[in-house]
Amino acid sequence: MLLKSLYGVSRFGVRFYRKLIDPLDLLTGIEKRELLAHLAGDCDPFRILSIKKGPGTRERPNLIPSSNSSRLICCHCTESDNHLKFMWLHQGDPKRCGCGYWFELCPIAPL
Amino acid sequence: MKMNNNHPFHLVDYSPWPFTGAIGVLTLMTGMIKWFHNFNFNLIIMGYIITLLTAYQWWRDISREGTYQGKHTILVNKGLRWGMILFIISEIFFFISFFWAFFHSSLSPNIEIGSMWPPSSITPFNPFQIPLLNTIILISSGVTVTWAHHSLMENNFSQTKQSLFLTILLGFYFTILQAYEYIEAPFTIADSIYGSTFFMATGFHGIHVMIGTLFLLTCYIRHLNNHFSKNHHFGFEAAAWYWHFVDVVWLFLYISIYWWGN
Repeated sequence: MLLKSLYGVSRFGVRFYRKLIDPLDLLTGIEKRELLAHLAGDCDPFRILSIKKGPGTRERPNLIPSSNSSRLICCHCTESDNHLKFMWLHQGDPKRCGCGYWFELCPIAPL
Repeated sequence: MKMNNNHPFHLVDYSPWPFTGAIGVLTLMTGMIKWFHNFNFNLIIMGYIITLLTAYQWWRDISREGTYQGKHTILVNKGLRWGMILFIISEIFFFISFFWAFFHSSLSPNIEIGSMWPPSSITPFNPFQIPLLNTIILISSGVTVTWAHHSLMENNFSQTKQSLFLTILLGFYFTILQAYEYIEAPFTIADSIYGSTFFMATGFHGIHVMIGTLFLLTCYIRHLNNHFSKNHHFGFEAAAWYWHFVDVVWLFLYISIYWWGN
């Protein structure tokens, strides 16, 4: 029991102090997976940040990652626009926004 | 539509606590009326029990969801921060109303109380006795809670424990001293507008001190059970914010009611 009470003890100058549990060890569940993804360099593990549109043609549509069979997306057609155009995107069904850009759902594994 | 949870949001599981909380405060309020009119404690006691049990179990579930289930992602943490900030702002407005009442009555005192403040035949507290000690206690507790936070961030378990314990001790000391003042007060809540404004403002502040002390105590217990890490300890931060708010309200109370109002 004496040895157990010395868990995480470290020196600070000439004093001894007990440390808290290592953060990565304490974490669990989706919070842990999020932090591990951030540490691995992925700043958007859930793929919810906005992405810049690519060519967006029918042959090379903008690929929207999703781990579900449908996802709600919005298109900011031009820089000067003050509104967004929302649309549902379904698996295997590429869609075209009114501005001409094509989007397609791209399956990814959930975090 | 097949649904996966690939998002950082926390969609909470079904819980009975909002409903039991509503029943609890309804019983509490109805019980208060029964107490005032019929001098009967039964309903209010039941209301207290239901509300207290709801609060305990609801907050226990929140710490379980955060610590044991890992549902508190960065975004959820941000939401909790905003929630606490907005709650404290609402409490500030609550206290503003009591300060408004105090200044309304004291800046132009009615002829019925002698056109003076404090009203004639009211002997107010000497601000340089126990109230000054209370001020020193709360300011010191602000220092100790900041010490606890820095110790947490520096991964120092022992110092966090010591400083948090000191903060709680100071909180208890304040409550005991204020209770003594209340018992020994030469005036009551019924003694003109002075008594009303004094006891409403300091009384609600006292309740907030007790709630803050309890919040810090739960953080102390959670800390001993290794719930906190040096990066993720929002429960403690929320308690510290609340404690600083309680401290600031006391400073306003001391300056305006105890000192200026003397």
